[in-house]
Amino acid sequence: MELQSQHFREKAADALADSAAVAQRDKIAQFTPIIRDAAMQEFGSFEALRKHIKRIRQHSLDNLDYYLARFELEATNNGNQVHYADTPDEMNSIVLDICQQHGAHRVAKGKSMVTEETALNDYLQRGGLEVVETDLGEYIIQQAGETPSHIVAPALHKSKQEIRELFLEKHALGERALETTEDLVDEARSVLRETFLKADVGIIGSNALIAENGYSMLVTNEGNGDLCANLPNVLIICTTLDRILPRGEDATAMQRLLARSTTGQAQTSYTSFYSGPRREGELDGPLETHIVLLDNQRTDILASDYKEMLQCIRCGTCLNHCPVFAATGGHSYGWVYSGPMGSILTPLLTSLETSEALPNACTSCGRCGEVCPADIPLPDLLRDLRHEQYQQKMTAPRWRVGLKLHAWLAVRPSLYQFLTAMLTTVLHRLGRKKGSFSQLPFAAGWTSVRDFPAPQSGTFMQQYKARTKADE
Amino acid sequence: MSSESRSRIMAKVRGASRGQGAAAIESELAGMGVAPTAPLPHEDTCIAFMANVLRNHGTLDIAGNRSEAVKLIGQYIYQHFRSHRLVAGNDPHLAAMPWRDGGVLPRFGEVEPGEPVALSYAQWGVAETGATVFLTGKSNPSRNNLLPERHLVLLDVNNLLPDLESLWRQIEPNIEAGSRPRGIQCIAGPSSTADIEAQLVHGAHGPRGWHIILTGGATHEQLQTAQTIVACDDTLGGS
Repeated sequence: MELQSQHFREKAADALADSAAVAQRDKIAQFTPIIRDAAMQEFGSFEALRKHIKRIRQHSLDNLDYYLARFELEATNNGNQVHYADTPDEMNSIVLDICQQHGAHRVAKGKSMVTEETALNDYLQRGGLEVVETDLGEYIIQQAGETPSHIVAPALHKSKQEIRELFLEKHALGERALETTEDLVDEARSVLRETFLKADVGIIGSNALIAENGYSMLVTNEGNGDLCANLPNVLIICTTLDRILPRGEDATAMQRLLARSTTGQAQTSYTSFYSGPRREGELDGPLETHIVLLDNQRTDILASDYKEMLQCIRCGTCLNHCPVFAATGGHSYGWVYSGPMGSILTPLLTSLETSEALPNACTSCGRCGEVCPADIPLPDLLRDLRHEQYQQKMTAPRWRVGLKLHAWLAVRPSLYQFLTAMLTTVLHRLGRKKGSFSQLPFAAGWTSVRDFPAPQSGTFMQQYKARTKADE
Repeated sequence: MSSESRSRIMAKVRGASRGQGAAAIESELAGMGVAPTAPLPHEDTCIAFMANVLRNHGTLDIAGNRSEAVKLIGQYIYQHFRSHRLVAGNDPHLAAMPWRDGGVLPRFGEVEPGEPVALSYAQWGVAETGATVFLTGKSNPSRNNLLPERHLVLLDVNNLLPDLESLWRQIEPNIEAGSRPRGIQCIAGPSSTADIEAQLVHGAHGPRGWHIILTGGATHEQLQTAQTIVACDDTLGGS
């Protein structure tokens, strides 16, 4: 997927101007945290589970040399062919080679953010293959020629009416009403059923790779990933090194966190573990299985101060709780990953310079860190990236001057309090009549989209001192 | 190309790892204890399982014996498809059913496109999540769990496990003996999607209905208790 994160500000402005899309995002931002909170409360010891998984994930990453070698050995013994890819291009090339070796024409693909990262579909299509996304959301956006707006729910930005029009245009199925959501799902089901049955190769991602037995865990509700994994003669699992966990029980414990955080379920409809190709006497299943492990900067992250980001379980919880994501939508971020996790991963996997706006797409509210089921200190990592930008002089000169001035002032509390009190008094007096300002010098970024409220009389510190004195 | 990449990646991973020996790593892992499990909705494992199946939008029948199970399967198929035909895996538990008692005409093997209903024998059920567990293999083609409109599952309540950790303990002897099943499928509901305007719809790609016939001593009273638990969930706005 082509990186467009350098256009975040323009894209965010466009997204904010689309009132229907804003309303849709508001609705999603309201109900997704409710679902997650209910599941968390019902579980009871969610925090203990979160800490347990964090310890296991950290242990896995600290000893990844051991667990990666173990996984490779077990997966190979299970009959898989394990491949390593340094770069996105290398992963794409490995997958295309496998498809070509089998004379494949059609590929049925399950949801995989890794293959979005490598733009695998475009690569395979250029290689002459027909590639069909089978997750309903991914299928919708593939038909629309768009990219995912959310890592878990890629087409949630589209209305039912838009999807209806899309299906009427893309599916040559004659006159039909397609009035309800059920009608739309049914139509996609019948079209995609043919895809599953005719596919030569199935491609899926993996939620976890289990070192002790070489199994790969796949978590879905639709079952499309399982159809991709079981019907075609060749299965390719495209995944990354950081998915490795020591034991089967670690994978299912992580699943407890993942399902509750994402959809509020105790377990998704399908949680499957696949070990390799069809066994002797087995009636179905792939005849050949490949696991392609992509690095794409992850070993650099492993050795860096951002290592904790590799604990991410791709649940989308931080997106669902982020006010910036809710306001601007996933497409504004300009790449595969969006929201707080995307604002960290995108610079790390691509370039901090090109995606300089992303670590700054943050209100510092800290909500993402509070809700992250992997307990990743997302606000701290975002701040570290901003700090790095500042050190590398990527921050605009006026911001650098402003930050320097603020830093200088912040360590002089008396002067800080005197100046803020003066400014507050002036603004209070000037804005007393109207209660707000539609224009203010140096604050056009704010006043161009909304009024700036006139401050009440006195700063916090003035009021605090006055009350303390009164109490005495 | 891949082997060079492997060497490069392995070298970088080694450089970033702690470099501990296997014994130290395994000991550290063992010291981390076990993950907390979800609380069961009822102290009776069977009721807890039933309640979670219902929460997962599954349906249940209780069969006192094998003959009754066949009759219930026959009724279910006739009610939905006005048919007596069924595809069942080659599992010995299914082959031994008294099919004539329910007027059911089973075909043993794998589901072909267009065949609307399949029956699978679940090796285990997990009370914690209401999942039914299948090991793919000669007797259980995976497509039977995925392709039909309606997926029927026969499960013996004596094979209910409290949680997912217990499931691994059951499977591990197979894994260690080198007879690893190709697939372990935990199915906890009908195929579903909420990808269009977040509206839940069943039958995204796989079964629209997931129906479990419990044998081995489950009672209708237990089912009623499970139904009451789920009704209370709905009243309180829970799961």
